[in-house]
Formats: sequence, structure tokens, C-alpha cells
Amino acid sequence: MRRTQIRQRQPDPGWAEDTDRDPDLAGLLALVARGDHRAFELVYGKLAGPVYGLVRQVLRDPAQSEEIAQEVLLEIWRTASRFDPAKGSAAAWALTIAHRRAVDRVRSETASARREVKAAVEHSSPDNDVAEVVAATLDGQRVRRCLDGLTELQRESITLAYYGGYSYPQVAQLLGVALGTVKTRIRDGLIRMRDCLEVEW
Amino acid sequence: MVKVMHDDLNVLSGSYVLDALSEPERDSFERQLQHCPLCEEEVRGLREAAARLGLAKTLEPPPQMRMRVLAAAYRTRQLPPPAGEQIGLERRRARVTWLFAKRPHGALRHAQGWPRVPRLAAALAAASLAIVVTLGITHTLTRHQSGGAPTASAAISRIITAPDARTETMRTSAGGTVTVVVSARQQAAVVTATGMQPLPSAQTYQLWVIGPDGARSAGLLSRTGRAGPVLASGVEPGDRIGITVEPAGGTSGPTITPVIAVPV
Repeated sequence: MRRTQIRQRQPDPGWAEDTDRDPDLAGLLALVARGDHRAFELVYGKLAGPVYGLVRQVLRDPAQSEEIAQEVLLEIWRTASRFDPAKGSAAAWALTIAHRRAVDRVRSETASARREVKAAVEHSSPDNDVAEVVAATLDGQRVRRCLDGLTELQRESITLAYYGGYSYPQVAQLLGVALGTVKTRIRDGLIRMRDCLEVEW
Repeated sequence: MVKVMHDDLNVLSGSYVLDALSEPERDSFERQLQHCPLCEEEVRGLREAAARLGLAKTLEPPPQMRMRVLAAAYRTRQLPPPAGEQIGLERRRARVTWLFAKRPHGALRHAQGWPRVPRLAAALAAASLAIVVTLGITHTLTRHQSGGAPTASAAISRIITAPDARTETMRTSAGGTVTVVVSARQQAAVVTATGMQPLPSAQTYQLWVIGPDGARSAGLLSRTGRAGPVLASGVEPGDRIGITVEPAGGTSGPTITPVIAVPV
């Protein structure tokens, strides 16, 4: 029986190429759409945190959040071919899926939505929620700074809708203002956020 | 008239982006959006702003989530592109597949360019991983090992659920696929194989950890071609995991017919 000696390992160009690949999310999603497992692992590395964080912010319950976040990430795998870079960034695409799923869960669970809104009015302080927004990241600080630049009503409307997962009628009820007011405040506030954050679109 | 409608529509754009509309409102908004390029433009910008709000909430997900998502993904068929055009589907090469091949001197040589793991085979491999995750060990190593570590379910689940765990599923030259889950932090890998050619009783599959100093046996795999999960410990970054066909009982160094090598 011949013994095999393995010499000095050669550098592994395939592997190096793989890890050095452009980390651009949109590019990775194009690979994922073609069934590339390694690309999906990289996408997971980039999106699992944002997806889980946002879902958790809306749902609060860790177990439910994990379940929904898994569904969202699986959805990203499944529908990667539907991502169109011309229509927005990959992060926005993914977080849109995540937020909608989380909100769908909230809405389907709240058969007694009115009761919940009432409880929320009694027990929650929107300002505290805003304070929680502060993440120890530059991105978080910037978001915080821009949120601070909004009027109180704009800020509360946006955080209740986005982070709280409330519908605009619920937001109106929580804040004790007219439906039309909430609609315009959400839009005006979001436009200001867009400009303050200097997002590209 | 149209102007009024667009104004109405625009007022809802923020609430639409924040998912604050009811379902019927959402549907009607989306229908009207198709006829209002300016509204669409606005939605696009507001959506990016909302995404930044979302990114600010980034949280480390539970470590076990990764393996579950990856395993589930590889068992899930993907949607085709919206146009539904299937033409021009190029044969894709596996990203990193280094195959051992027999060499006159017996040294190991690698070759590149294996066709992509067929979806069914990948799904099978992923399915066996899913079983590992949920049910624990379903197969055990043969006891006639030559220096391999016995399987230990706790050690295996520690690797599979490690935050830095990385999964590679590859086709082997003996058919079937091998899935390797590697954790650099745990310095170990978990290997499962399915669908490799069954071997005659005089032969066996043997698992190797290949480093700069040569190959070290990590145990024998079932000659049925379906094996694992098997634990390979002492794995360093840069090492490769290999499987060879050996005489029954195994050898102390890989000899002939290596079927796959996976970089760690």
C-alpha cells in the first residue's frame, strides 16, 4: 500500500476568490438567485442582524421574533430572483419584507386590537420607545439625530407606526389626533428623515 | 382630477412605507401606484429612509438561527425570475471544490470545476443536517477506527450551532454529496455524506483532516456511501477535509481514489 505524503499546501485561489468577493449585497443576491449557497451564507451574515433586530423591535417576544426572522430570511432565499436593484437597495428590500411580516403577525394576533391599543395608551410612553432607538452605532446615532430634528408629532407617529407596528388609525388613537393629521405627519416626517439621512434612491 | 387623486395618494405614501395601512388600503394604494411614477419615486426614497430606521435596530440573532435558516433554505425551491425565462441557464461551477486525484507519486493534486451540486442532492444533504439539529445523532461511526474520534452528540451539536459555523455542501467524485459544517472557533468539523457509491466489503471510506504536515485520519465512514454525522476535531483554518476510498480497516495515510476535499 502506497503511503501518500501531502506536501506544503498550496494557497487555495478558489477560496481566496470566494472570500474576497465583492461584499455588495445586491451582487450577492444575484448569486443567491442562482442558488449559490455560499453567497446566501454571506447574505445571512449581513442581513440576519438587521432582520432579527427589526422584527424583535416590533414583536418584542424573542421566540416569536426568531420564528418570523427565520421566515423572512428563508423568503429572501426563495425570492432573491425578484429583487430588482433598480427599485431600491437590497437592505431596503429585505427590511421591507421583514417589517411587513412582523406587522402581519401583530395584526393577525390582535383580534382584540382595540383592547391592545387601549393597554398601550395606558402603559407605554412613546418617548421611551424613541430613547430605545439609540443604537451604539454611528448609523443609530445619525438616525437618532435626525429623529430629534422632527416635530414631536412626526417623531411619535413614525416610531409608533414603524417600531411599534401600529396602523395609522391606531397611531391616531394613541396620540389623540385626527386620522388625516397622522397620515400627513408620517409622510412629512419620513420625507424629512430621508433628506436628513441623505439616503440615495 | 388626476392631480387630486395623486395628492390623495401621496398623503398615504408614508403610511404605506411604514406598513401602517390596512390591507385593503395597501392593495388599493399599490394598484394606483402603478399609474403614478412620481408617487413611486417618492415611495422609493421613503422606503430607503425607513430601512435606515430598521438598520438602527440591528441585533445579534440567536446563534442557532443560522443553522436552521441555512438548512431550511437548501431544502426550499427558489422562485424563478419574474419573466419566467429559463433560457441561458448556464451550468454553474461549484464555488470551491478541490478534488483529490490519483497521481503517479501518490501526492495529492486538486482539480477545479465541478458542476454545481444538483438541487435534489443538496436538499438531501441539508435534510440530513436538519435531522442532526433536531434529533441528535442518527448514525454512529463504525468502531473499527484508525485513530478517529468517536462521535459525541454534544460535541457535534456544539459545532453545528456555533456562531461561526460555516456549511459547505459538495458533490463527490464517488457520486452523492458531502456536507461539512466547520467551526474555526471549535477547531472542529462535522461531516455527513449521502449517496456516495456503495463499496465492496474489501473497501471503506475514510475521513481525513489535511493540514500542512500531511493527512490525519478522522475515522472510517460507512461503505454504504451514507455516513455521519462524524466529528473531525483538531481542524485548523486552512486545513481541508477529505474523504478517500481505502482497504477495509483503513490506513494511516490516504492512498488511492480520494473522492472529495473541502477547504476549511
